[in-house]
Amino acid sequence: MNGIQKKIWTLAAVVLFIMAAIWIALTYYNQKTQDQYNDILQRYLRMNEVTTASQQTVTSLNNYLLSPSRDNLSQLEQSKEKLRKARIDVIELRNPGNEFALTNYMNLIDSLVETTERSLTFQSEKETEASGNAFSEADRISKYISEMSLTLLDAELKTYDRFYRGIIEQSAELKKLGIWLLLLITFLLLLFTYAFSLSITRPVLKLTQAAKELSRGRFDLRIEVESNDEISFLAKMFDRMRININNLISEIQQKAQLENELQQSKLLLQESQLRSLQSQINPHFLFNTLNTLSKKAYLEGSEETSDLLASVAALLRYNLKRLDRSVTLYDEVRVLRQYVEIQKARFTERLRFHTDIDESCLYVQLPGLTLQPIVENAVIYAIEPEEDGGEIWFRIVDGADRVTVEIEDDGPGMAEERIRQILEERPVESEGGHTTGIGLGNVVRRLRLFYGCDDVIAIESGRERGTKVRLSIPKARESGKHDQASDRG
Amino acid sequence: MRKTVILLLGLAGVALFYFTFVSAGKVFRSDWQLPQSPGEKQARYRLVLITQELETPFWGKVGAGALEEAERVGASIEVWGSYGKNREDFLKKIEIAIDSKVDGIIVQGLDTEEFKQLTKVKAAFYGIPIVTVANDVPMADSLRRTYVGSNQYLAGQLIARQLLSDMGSTGKVVLLGDSRREYYQQQRINGIYDVLKEYPNVLTEYAETTDAREQVISATQDLMNRLPDVQAFVAVNANTAEAMIQEIGRRSRVEPYHIYSFDDSHDSMSLLKQGKLDGVIEQSPETMGRISVNLMTEWLSGETVPLDSNGYFTEIRMLKAADER
Repeated sequence: MNGIQKKIWTLAAVVLFIMAAIWIALTYYNQKTQDQYNDILQRYLRMNEVTTASQQTVTSLNNYLLSPSRDNLSQLEQSKEKLRKARIDVIELRNPGNEFALTNYMNLIDSLVETTERSLTFQSEKETEASGNAFSEADRISKYISEMSLTLLDAELKTYDRFYRGIIEQSAELKKLGIWLLLLITFLLLLFTYAFSLSITRPVLKLTQAAKELSRGRFDLRIEVESNDEISFLAKMFDRMRININNLISEIQQKAQLENELQQSKLLLQESQLRSLQSQINPHFLFNTLNTLSKKAYLEGSEETSDLLASVAALLRYNLKRLDRSVTLYDEVRVLRQYVEIQKARFTERLRFHTDIDESCLYVQLPGLTLQPIVENAVIYAIEPEEDGGEIWFRIVDGADRVTVEIEDDGPGMAEERIRQILEERPVESEGGHTTGIGLGNVVRRLRLFYGCDDVIAIESGRERGTKVRLSIPKARESGKHDQASDRG
Repeated sequence: MRKTVILLLGLAGVALFYFTFVSAGKVFRSDWQLPQSPGEKQARYRLVLITQELETPFWGKVGAGALEEAERVGASIEVWGSYGKNREDFLKKIEIAIDSKVDGIIVQGLDTEEFKQLTKVKAAFYGIPIVTVANDVPMADSLRRTYVGSNQYLAGQLIARQLLSDMGSTGKVVLLGDSRREYYQQQRINGIYDVLKEYPNVLTEYAETTDAREQVISATQDLMNRLPDVQAFVAVNANTAEAMIQEIGRRSRVEPYHIYSFDDSHDSMSLLKQGKLDGVIEQSPETMGRISVNLMTEWLSGETVPLDSNGYFTEIRMLKAADER
C-alpha cells in the first residue's frame, strides 16, 4: 500500500479503534447497569405481585361467599393459583438481609391459602359463621401480607442502600469519565493529526523549496526528504533529475568548450594553410627570380656568380620540397655540397671542407635537411668568428648495422651545458641571429622521432678542441615508423 | 522552546491518561454486587421475640441476650414489637407471627383477653409454642409453655423490706399501681403486701392509674392531698415513676420521700442516678433473653419436655441510690 494512503488509513483506524473501544465499554457498562436495574425492578414487581394476588384472592373469596356461583369459584381458583405462583417467585428474592422476613412472608401466603380453603370448607358445610370468621382472618392476613410487603421493601431499600448509592455515584462518575475521555481523545487526535499532517506537508514543503531552488538555477543543492512515502520517492526522483540535469549541463559546457577550441583550431588551420600556400608562392617566386639572376650572371660573364645563384636556387628548391619527407643520404650529401659551395663563395679560403664518404652506404634514409643545419652550425661557430677560418670534416663510415655520419670542426667547442640542453631537447635561446630557423635542437628532435631511438645523435666537444657531431643511422628501419613519421604534417 | 512545548504536551498527556484511567476504574469497578441469596440452608428454628416496648434499655437488653443466644444455638430470631405499649400493634404482631408459622414465639406477657385468645386458641391451633418473658400471664390463661423472668412476688417483697429498713416500721406508704392490673404487677403488689402486713404501723395506700402522664400526675396530686404526711412511694408500674416524681417535686423537695420502683422503664436508671429514686429493683434482662431462647430451642428439639410451668426465674437485686452515688 502507498505511504500517504497508509498513513491516512492508520489515522482512520486509530480513530475507529478508539471509538469502537469506547462504544464497547459504554455498551457493556450500560448493559450491566440495565441488568441490575431490571433485577431490582423485578424484585419490587414480584413483591407487589404477591400483594395484588393476595388482595385479589380475598376479593374473589368475598364474591364467592356472597354469591357462590361456578364463575366466582373458578375466579377464586385462578387467583389462588396466581398467589401460589407469586409465592414461588418470591423464593428467589432471598438474601441474608431478608431471609427471616421472607420466610414469614411465604408462610403468610400459605396461611392465606389455608384460611381461604377453610372458609370454603365451612361454606360448603353451611357453617356460615365459621366461614365468615375464616374470611375475616383471611382478610387480616391479606392486610398483613401487604404490610409485610412494605416491610420487605423497606428491608430491601436498607440492604440495597449502598448499592443504590453506588449506582448514583457511578453515574456521576460516568459523566466525569465522559469529560476526561473527551479531553483525552481530543488531545490525542490533535497530536496525531498534527504529526500526520506534518509528516505529509513537511516533505512537500522541502520539495517545494527544492523546486524553487532548481527553478532559480541552483543545481548543486542536494534534495533530502526524510519520509517513507511517495513524497520521498518523488524527492529521490527529483534529486536524480537534478543530478542528470547537472551532468547534462556540464556535458554541454564541455562540448561547447570543445567546439570552441575546435573552431579556433580550425581557424588556425585555415590560417596556417593560407600561410603555407602563401609561403609556397613566395619561395617559388624567389626560386624563379634566383634562376633568372643566375642566367643573367652567366650571360654577363660572371660564371661564378651564376653557379652560386644556381646552387642557392637548388638549395631553396630542396628546402621547399624535402622538409617534410624522408630522403636518402645521397640527396642530403648533394645538398650539403651545394650549401658548402655557397658558403665557400663567402668564406673562400677560410673554409676548408674535407669529405670522406663511403659511397656504398648512401642509400640509407633520413629526414630531409638533417645534415645542412649541423654543418651550418659548424660554419657559424667554428668558421665565421675565426680570422683564419677553420676546417670541417665530413665523414660517412659504414658500420655493422648502422651508418655513422660525423661532422667535425676545429672551432672553440661547445659548453657542456649547451650540449645537454640540445640533447635533452630543451628550448635554447639562440646566440646571434644566423640560424635558418631550423636549429640543432630541431634536428635532434626530428632524428629521434624518425628512428624511434635516443642514441641516434651524439655530440663530443671541449674547450678549444672543436666539436664533433656523430649521427648513427640505422641501415634497416621499421617501415611502420617511417610511415608514421612520413605522415606527419 | 521546542523542548518545553514537548515536555508540557507530554505532561498534559500523562495527566489526562491518569485521570481518565482513574475515572474509568471507578466507573467499571463493580464492588457493589447485588447481595447473593444465601447458599447455606436456613437456620434451625425461626423464633420471634415480641415486646410492647421496643427500644427501651430493658427490652433492648432482653433482645440482645436473645440474639446472642440464638446465634450460639443456631436459631434465627427477630425482635418485633410495638412502641410505647401500643397493644393493638403488639397483638397484631403476635397474630402475624402465628400466621407466619414461626417455630416459637417469645413474648412479653400481656394480661388481656385478646392476648389470651391469641395464645390459647390461635397459637395452639397452629401448634406454635409460646414462652412469656419478663412479664408473665398465668399458664391456665395463656397456655404458655413457661415463663422466663424475675419472680415478681419476690421483687415486691424485696422492695417492701428495703422500704422498711429505710423508713422504719412506721409510716405511710403509697402504692401506685396500674389500672390494667396486669398479672406481674399484681404479683409485685402481693409481695409487698405480704411483707408489710407484718407491720401494722405501716399504713399502705393503694392507688391505680393508667400510663398516661396526666393521669399519673392527677393521681399523685390526689394522693398527696389526702395523705399529706406520706413518707414513701412505690411505683409498681415503673413507667409511672417519672411523672410521679415530677409531681412530688413540684410540691416539695423529693429527697425526704422514700421512693421505689422497678427497672423496666427507660428512665428508671437515670432517676436513680439523680437520686430521685431511692431504690430500684434491678432485673436481669439479658439473662431473660438468653434463657428464653435456650429453653425454646430445647423444647423444640425435644431435649427438655415439658418445661417447668412455674417458670425459670432470673436474678433480681436491689439497687440503692446511695450505692449509685
